[in-house]
Amino acid sequence: MSRNQRIGLIVAAALVAVVAFVIASPGGDDEGDKASETTPTTATSGTETTTETQTEATAPPKPEATKIDIRAGEVAGGPAEIQVKNGDTVVIVVSSDARDDIHLHGYDIEKPVEPGKAATFRVEANLEGEFEIESHVAEDAGRDPLIGTLVVEPK
Amino acid sequence: MFLIGHGISVRSDLPIPEWLFGWAAAMVLVVSFVALAVLWPEPRLQKPTWRPLPGGIGRVLASRPVEIICGAIGIFLLGLTIYAGLRGTQSTAANFAPIFIYVIFWLALVPLSVLFGDVFCAFNPWRAIGRGTAWVARVVSRSELPAPLEYPGWLGRWPAAVGIFAFATMELVASDGDKPDSLAVAAIAYSAVTFIGMALYGVERWIDRSEAFSVYFNLFSRLSAVETRDGEVGLRRPLSGLPRLESLPGTVALVAVMIGSVSFDGFTGKRPWNSISPDIAQVFQDRGLSPQHALEATFMLGLIGAVLFVAAFYWLGVLGAKSVGGGFSARRLAHEFVHTLVPIALAYVAAHYFTLLLFQGQAMAYLISDPLGKGDDIFGTANSQIDYTLIGANGTWYWQVAFVVAGHVAALMLAHDRALALYEDKRKAVRSQYWMLGVMVGFTSLALWLLSSANS
Repeated sequence: MSRNQRIGLIVAAALVAVVAFVIASPGGDDEGDKASETTPTTATSGTETTTETQTEATAPPKPEATKIDIRAGEVAGGPAEIQVKNGDTVVIVVSSDARDDIHLHGYDIEKPVEPGKAATFRVEANLEGEFEIESHVAEDAGRDPLIGTLVVEPK
Repeated sequence: MFLIGHGISVRSDLPIPEWLFGWAAAMVLVVSFVALAVLWPEPRLQKPTWRPLPGGIGRVLASRPVEIICGAIGIFLLGLTIYAGLRGTQSTAANFAPIFIYVIFWLALVPLSVLFGDVFCAFNPWRAIGRGTAWVARVVSRSELPAPLEYPGWLGRWPAAVGIFAFATMELVASDGDKPDSLAVAAIAYSAVTFIGMALYGVERWIDRSEAFSVYFNLFSRLSAVETRDGEVGLRRPLSGLPRLESLPGTVALVAVMIGSVSFDGFTGKRPWNSISPDIAQVFQDRGLSPQHALEATFMLGLIGAVLFVAAFYWLGVLGAKSVGGGFSARRLAHEFVHTLVPIALAYVAAHYFTLLLFQGQAMAYLISDPLGKGDDIFGTANSQIDYTLIGANGTWYWQVAFVVAGHVAALMLAHDRALALYEDKRKAVRSQYWMLGVMVGFTSLALWLLSSANS
């Protein structure tokens, strides 16, 4: 086999591999795809459209607030995951039955919270990534400080 | 998760979306096939090429005064790290020690080594102290020092493999691993071990083979075009430092620890791990461990498992390559090809941690003004903040894929070159390459999967 033949053969094999891959990939990971379709993107912003062709039919609704409630040092229902897109306005309301300082990392906003007096975070999500929301009281006590995660995806 | 992992990381990357993961994997396959067809037919990287930097700059850079200044800077930084860790605030993000160790020392030195050669060797505080002590001892005693013990051949790079594993344990397993005072104590303990090693076996020998960080950064510097030779800095063909890696016991273990620990760090964010780890922790808790220790034991098990998995997968490829014939033992082949995993290890580190370096590295701006976190403002930068807008999620994904694919290509070239040099029969060389190619596609796919949203 000459060098050119060999190259031709390999390029052909590579093409077949790519085509096979492209054909196979949409249904490739059934479980994963279904999971991502059926899992509702979390409470906060209801503006996300499922198909790209669909234009924004409704006026942007008022951002819905995510509530995080701390009872006896534990987050009721476990740490919250708040998913938004870049540019969305996020509202997070943290209440607690004890004095605490709540820190939204990355955006670096820290607010005090007291029994009966919730802390309201209202931010425009313009930094992409995953950011932790932590309780400083839990951190100082050596407990798990994570009370929620803010996930900001690109538009 | 309880303070395990990167306590210093306040922003994590979003996983690579599935469509990009698919394209990246396809690209890896295409690149691999094309490489098999078009790579050079004669070995090219095995022969050393090196010429000094023009105008005598190379001699200046490697001169004694520069060496002393760099060493002094290294010693100062080690001292500052230990001092800040012990005396400063115990809040991880506000103390110089954790960010310096995990971000500047552990991460920033990697790209610096790849770009500028073995820079850590120049700044290595332990080497500087060892050489300084030897010089003082010679001057005071007015005689030559007694010759060091002979370094046992079987020891090879094993101490370095153990050292890097211990560092990974500190970073990924120990729940106190990001606490400033624990880090300071670990730095003191490691310094003590290093001084004893240097005293027994000689400064250069210990630094060259056993001092974990020297060996680690030296591996990466072998990708670089910059090399210091006989007291002069010069340039060589990139990658050509790796084929000259001396074959020593423990090298495969070291590289397995390097790739395995980064893999494990990625794996802990994945669904399989998060569904199984609570059960394992429960087993330990039922045996009487406290919840925290049970979790540490679980992570330890996971880290060991990841390292063994990487080593086993590499050995599988080696055994496959042995099966094509040529009369080489598996052990010989394992050592002949281990250097090809270094660019893959680099790709793992780069793709996984480059945003951590990019963002947390900026913390140095305020930490140098307030290293103890006690409200000082030495350089007037104590109030500077981290700019998280530097790179968005899309940009991050493309860079991650680029690093992984580039590492894959470099590894293929090295393996190809070594096979040509090793096998007299060209057909056997190519057949052995199918196995090595399988190993590399495996590691590269694993890297992409760990970064992607699949199963996360």
